[in-house]
Amino acid sequence: MRHGKYRFLIGALAPPLLLYGVFVVSPYAQAFSLALTDWDGLSAEAGFVGLSNFADLWGDKLFLAALRNNGFMILVVPTATIALALFFSACLTLGGGTRRRGVRGSGLYRIVYFFPQLLSVAILGVLFQFVYTPGNGLLNGLLGAVGLGGLERAWLADPASALPAVTAVMIWSAVGFYVVLFTAAMESVPVDVVEAAVLDGAGRFTVFRRITLPLVWDSVQVAYVYLGILALDGFALVQIMTVGPGGPDNATEVIGLTLYRSAFTYGEFGYASAMGVTLFFITLTLTALALRATKRERVELA
Amino acid sequence: MKRISGGVLHLVLIVWAALVTLPLLWAVVSSLKTDAEIFASPWSLPDAPQWGNWARAWQEAAIGRYLLNTLIVVGGALVLVMLLGALTAYCLARYDFPGNRLVYYLLVAGMLFPVFLALVPLFFVVDQLGMLGTYHGLILVYAAYALPFTVFFLHAFFRSLPSATAEAAFIDGCSHAGVFFRVMLPMARPGMVSVGIFNFLGLWNQYLLPLVLNPDPDRYVLAQGLAALAVSQGYRSDFSGLFAGLVIAILPVLLAYLLFQRQIRSGLTAGAVR
Amino acid sequence: MAGAAAVLSGCVTAGGDDPAEQATGAVTEDNPLGVPEGADLEVVMFDGGYGQEYTQHAVTLYEERHPDATVTHEGLQKVGEVLQPRFVSGEPPDVVDNTGAGRLDIAALAEAGQLTDLAELLDAPSLDDPAVKVRDLLLPGVVADGTLDGTPYFLNYSYVAWGIWYSRSLFESKGWTVPETWDDMLALCGEIKDAGIAPWTWQGKFPEYMMDPLQSLAAKAGGLDLVYAVDNLEADAWRQDGMLAAADAIHRLVTGGHILEGSEGLSHTEAQNAWCNGEAAFLPCGSWIEGEQQGVTPEGFDMAMAAVPALSGADALPYGAVQGSSSESFLVPAQAANPRGGLEYLRCLFSGEVARGFAESAKAMPVVKGATEGLELSSGLASVAAALEAAGDGVFGYKYRTWYPELAVEVDTATGELLAGRTDPEQWSDRIQAAADAVAADDSVAKYER
Repeated sequence: MRHGKYRFLIGALAPPLLLYGVFVVSPYAQAFSLALTDWDGLSAEAGFVGLSNFADLWGDKLFLAALRNNGFMILVVPTATIALALFFSACLTLGGGTRRRGVRGSGLYRIVYFFPQLLSVAILGVLFQFVYTPGNGLLNGLLGAVGLGGLERAWLADPASALPAVTAVMIWSAVGFYVVLFTAAMESVPVDVVEAAVLDGAGRFTVFRRITLPLVWDSVQVAYVYLGILALDGFALVQIMTVGPGGPDNATEVIGLTLYRSAFTYGEFGYASAMGVTLFFITLTLTALALRATKRERVELA
Repeated sequence: MKRISGGVLHLVLIVWAALVTLPLLWAVVSSLKTDAEIFASPWSLPDAPQWGNWARAWQEAAIGRYLLNTLIVVGGALVLVMLLGALTAYCLARYDFPGNRLVYYLLVAGMLFPVFLALVPLFFVVDQLGMLGTYHGLILVYAAYALPFTVFFLHAFFRSLPSATAEAAFIDGCSHAGVFFRVMLPMARPGMVSVGIFNFLGLWNQYLLPLVLNPDPDRYVLAQGLAALAVSQGYRSDFSGLFAGLVIAILPVLLAYLLFQRQIRSGLTAGAVR
Repeated sequence: MAGAAAVLSGCVTAGGDDPAEQATGAVTEDNPLGVPEGADLEVVMFDGGYGQEYTQHAVTLYEERHPDATVTHEGLQKVGEVLQPRFVSGEPPDVVDNTGAGRLDIAALAEAGQLTDLAELLDAPSLDDPAVKVRDLLLPGVVADGTLDGTPYFLNYSYVAWGIWYSRSLFESKGWTVPETWDDMLALCGEIKDAGIAPWTWQGKFPEYMMDPLQSLAAKAGGLDLVYAVDNLEADAWRQDGMLAAADAIHRLVTGGHILEGSEGLSHTEAQNAWCNGEAAFLPCGSWIEGEQQGVTPEGFDMAMAAVPALSGADALPYGAVQGSSSESFLVPAQAANPRGGLEYLRCLFSGEVARGFAESAKAMPVVKGATEGLELSSGLASVAAALEAAGDGVFGYKYRTWYPELAVEVDTATGELLAGRTDPEQWSDRIQAAADAVAADDSVAKYER
């Protein structure tokens, strides 16, 4: 019965794979070979230097700082975003008693929380540069207004607060999206299940942990992969917002910025490509881990 | 006891809502102030709304033209990547053939690869095809770079769809293409809407790709135009114009969202919550 | 003949795909550079603080002289990102203004054979007076600034001087005088602070701005020997007495509490606006600031630039010496389709007429001699012209920033830390010296000497 399977497969897969091969795979492959050269991005020829670019990376203070900072973001952004989003989602769906679905005005909250997702990174960067400005910036003004004037500082100029400040923008912009995802997942929990649990004497937290969380776990995994990718970038925000950029004292240097600067400021295209290749192997490892984590799901569904 | 914790709940929710809206409202207010008023205080309201700021952003920064360019490029790429992505994901998820895993991992790896590493080689590819600074060149590149995520997302979705309907269709003599277009694709509609919205938001934000592949200012997309405005601001003080440009760039997407927010959110979640 | 030679050299070094496209026209009195008639011209310029008026003006002159040519003129903010791929693919424009944060590395371009030798343009008759060569119209140092390994590859258009800026009206109303020594500066800072104004603010997000007064102080103390030692990556160049004393002098602004709080977190525009609003008395900047602040400077502010004070009585350079250099680098790519037209465009650009327009529209000093004569200069530009005149031959400049951008990044980072009070002058110089030593030891970095 299923004749013509391969004819269909070839017809269906050829156009997308051609597109992908021409515009994605081939440039990346060329970048891999560039990583073994000292190409300056301008001359027609590039000298082969073997793996020396990679050896140089481990003595490059900027690159190591970038690895550290992206590592911080990878640890903080997905976890904090998902934790906040789960918390708000739980408030929105489980709050306000068991009879009603969610607290009063929960619809409005859901609309408003999604707003940041609609801003492009360029807008975010420019906007938050002003928010963090010392003196008359929005954040310092806000802290002063609520009696926390002692916390006022030049947020982006202090190595201790600069990276957290950039990271906070990522979290700020991402939370609402996952609130929308998670609330919908939580609402798929039937009301009578919750009611039965409450009749059995379960508190809100128990309901959340025992019934709600397992049901949204699938969405949480998707969120983790997506937010991990976000945390490995950060280039646009850092480039627009930070001191230097990448400062102060390399506190906000990210791999994208180091790579960009090596290529476009120093003309070290081969070296920049080596950074990209290193980044590729890091991300490949993380992907493999993420896929392994989701494997369980696939077995269940099969 | 319950009332108190309910009050705290509300307070927390209101605080976050304020944190989310305050910077946006502030941008709107700032876009209507003079530069001097902006620097005098972040809180003050404008003496008289400076609509001239908006006119300056619209005309000198040509935000209107950038919007149109963006709609053409993003719209075209969206249609293309949805079609190709769904086909690819469907084949990989529902058919067994040699190399299936290899193709899948090749695609998924592309999702995580830093785009700007490929920029210069990519420029040559696009240049040799004669597509530099053209709408169709940008559309193809956008679609190619959105393909990995689309496939990754829809792959899981197609795997989760029940087989019974497809089996029945095959028995009824439906072709492979027929099963895909008439049976599986309609069943995957929630997933398609979901990944479509993801892709829209992603493509709308594209910045590095147009920067290199789209050098003609007449064809600038919004992100490029905004960056130009932001950088000009760096060289010539025009904070109010910058705020106005930001607000104009935010508004269309925000209005579209407010009009269709229920559909958008249910579309987004239908994909993730099966 | 000379034209043919330039075309040949362009093709030999550049290895472009089809040098035959680089047509040459007949050399006549009206067309000394042999521009082929009807050949199109593409000009790409950096669209920054000086605006596009002057490059457009030169387009008009070019079109008058070559009515059959179609001239495209484009202003960009990030020149490098757009042009890098075009250079690599052998399809660069005919003239490039390679300026701004996203500019291309000119030394690398020259090394890759991507630039046209401008000697022929320099020896061509100027547009204003056929008896005067273009070379002789330019201010001293301009040709040298654009010369790499003995070949003039680019010409800068704007002459920039760095100093310390203040509001004349504010200083008059308070009875303050601009200090000529650093001791006087510190004393005045105390006085200013007592008046309820922060003595200094600076563009903290870009520490380069504060490095300029610091290295000016060092140059004055140690003279050109100090400057050359730094640029030539000599051992312990950053530990020279003059350099350490200059860092210490700047550091005293920090320890004395003389800097507007939070300045280290301000962007250049934010700091400059704070200064324009009277929150701080002094601000370090180059002479472009007047144009940049045009829209927000209060009426009667009367900004003016003063030379950086002398570090001590034993300085090697006089008080009036200023850091100055030319900027806005115009070049003609070797693989351009119409390099003759590119040279001719520069001949139009470096004419008295365009230069006068530049001084008026951009409020900056053009490199063309006498261009500001007879013009009514604005407060800031007049002060810059006066400072340059007072300096005479005492104009100095560092090269390490363009020669070794890796080092410049580290200098800026260290200077940011110094100004934030997180490192002291000793640590500052150790850190930069380590970076300079690393650059000196790195064989992959091309070295320059002066």
